[in-house]
Amino acid sequence: MTELYAIILFLFVLFFLLGTGVWVGLALMGVAWVGMELFTTRPVGDTMITTIWASSSSWTLTALPLFIWMGEILYRTRLSEDMFKGLSPWLARLPGGLVHTNIVSCTVFAAVSGSSAATLTTVGKMAIPELRARNYPEKMVIGTLAGAATLGLMIPPSLALIVYGVTVNESITKLFFAGVFPGLVLAGMFMGYVAITSFVSKDWNPTIETGMSFREKLANSRFLLPVFALITVVIGSMYGGYATATEAAAIGVIGALVLALFQGSLTWSSFRESLMGATRTSAMIALILAGAAFLKLSMGFTGLPRSLADGIAAMELTRFQLLMALLVFYIILGMFLDGISAIVLTMAVVEPMVRGAGIDLIWFGIFVVVVIEMAQITPPIGFNLFVLQGMTDHEMGYITKAALPMFGIMVLMVFVLIWLPEIATWLPDNLRQRPS
Amino acid sequence: MSAIRKTLDLLYLIAGIAAALCLISILLLIVAQMVARWTGEIFPGAPNYAGYAMAAASFFAFANALNRGAHIRVSILLNAVNPRLKYMLEIWCFGIAAAIAWYFTYYAYWFVYWSWKFNEVSQGQDAILMWIPQSVMVIGGGLLAIALSDNLLHVLIKGQHRISRDIVDENLEG
Repeated sequence: MTELYAIILFLFVLFFLLGTGVWVGLALMGVAWVGMELFTTRPVGDTMITTIWASSSSWTLTALPLFIWMGEILYRTRLSEDMFKGLSPWLARLPGGLVHTNIVSCTVFAAVSGSSAATLTTVGKMAIPELRARNYPEKMVIGTLAGAATLGLMIPPSLALIVYGVTVNESITKLFFAGVFPGLVLAGMFMGYVAITSFVSKDWNPTIETGMSFREKLANSRFLLPVFALITVVIGSMYGGYATATEAAAIGVIGALVLALFQGSLTWSSFRESLMGATRTSAMIALILAGAAFLKLSMGFTGLPRSLADGIAAMELTRFQLLMALLVFYIILGMFLDGISAIVLTMAVVEPMVRGAGIDLIWFGIFVVVVIEMAQITPPIGFNLFVLQGMTDHEMGYITKAALPMFGIMVLMVFVLIWLPEIATWLPDNLRQRPS
Repeated sequence: MSAIRKTLDLLYLIAGIAAALCLISILLLIVAQMVARWTGEIFPGAPNYAGYAMAAASFFAFANALNRGAHIRVSILLNAVNPRLKYMLEIWCFGIAAAIAWYFTYYAYWFVYWSWKFNEVSQGQDAILMWIPQSVMVIGGGLLAIALSDNLLHVLIKGQHRISRDIVDENLEG
């Protein structure tokens, strides 16, 4: 019985530290310390340093700052303009018109950036004024942008999947490829929604431009060449087995620098800003991962993961019931925590549970990412909502409502994933292995 | 007083720049390793060096990232309460965070000290003396602890911390 009290105390400290606003990484270290003191007689301080050193100096982790840097460089180029120019002629005639550029641009940028907020700001700074000028319904513009930008977390490279892979020790390359088809399916679902709304909605009367000839469209597509070349090199090098995720990230940084150089947007100040921005963001994630590594160890000593896994096993839930419970759990957690913190915080407990239930950890990574994507657009803490608030001056409530249909589509996506798990598992299962 | 202020700010900045240089060195190490592999050569220990550079890039940047508001926290309660309570909460946050950071630095120091004392050598192909890369934990952890204490004092004396935050420009991480 004393063990139960200790566990309650442990969880209370966890929620107290996080809830009062202590920085996530340090809060995790604090909780882990409490756990170690309560449940073991080991020398806590030394164990902490050994664990944190091992996790912070890992080679797998180096993909993280490099992919962040790549996104930071591209964010400071003319890429968003170019994508709009290249994509809009092709999409203008679809039902739903240029709103599709929101979704397709996000999908394309997601393939060179690992973060949802970076995708959102890059695409949004171009798309919002252009679509507003053509009288598209504001709600659709904002909503689709908020939703589609979350694809940054799903389509490789993905920071969330790197963090997940490092936390549960799964291959990051495999996780990346598991995200490809689900990302495209989700983008397709968003586009379907836009098309349907354009028929149904009454206030849908945007200014339609005079159509371009096929030749002009093709000519405009030249703007897309650099970004597609970059995607091909980065993702292709991983797919062909020529490079690990980290190496692909290094190739990506160099590619992004070359692209910026040819566009003339590579100045000393943009280089410095991108580098410092990447350094800070990666330090932020590294601090959370350091705390999480220590917490994972400490959690193991509390016996909480094992007893929870046993408890779940004893309840004889079906796989579907377990996933539904986790879905609800993550949606609630996602209202208060950002995606990366939510992943590292829960994996120590959820991983044994999921492995115990015989669920494929690669597939589960994609499941978690869809749910984490929802967290980006749920109030009160939804990162994309904050970013959009800063960009558009709309109120939080308005943006939330605009993004709500996208939330519904993502819930639908979870069921699609459960119904057809092969969308996620087929590609990584058929990867060419690196000859090494 | 202002001399201390300037010295501290300079220290955070230098550490931030050192972190950025470590990030560049990660890139160079990985490229060198790739080129070596393609040309049939070997670059022994490259993954280990990249790992050390990763640790250095993270630890050196902690304080800088704190002052620029890059570290994530759950701010829902902080934004909801009245100024008086918010003041108390900020003191609590900086206080407990500084305590954790100092605790970390203390143990990191002894960890590195013993590593130096026993001439611990890396198990990998790099065969480097471990205290050299490990000391980034002491420096970076120490700087984070100093920065947190710095902010704590600032809250106590001036009623306001020194963290600047610009959500759109500074936070592309989510």
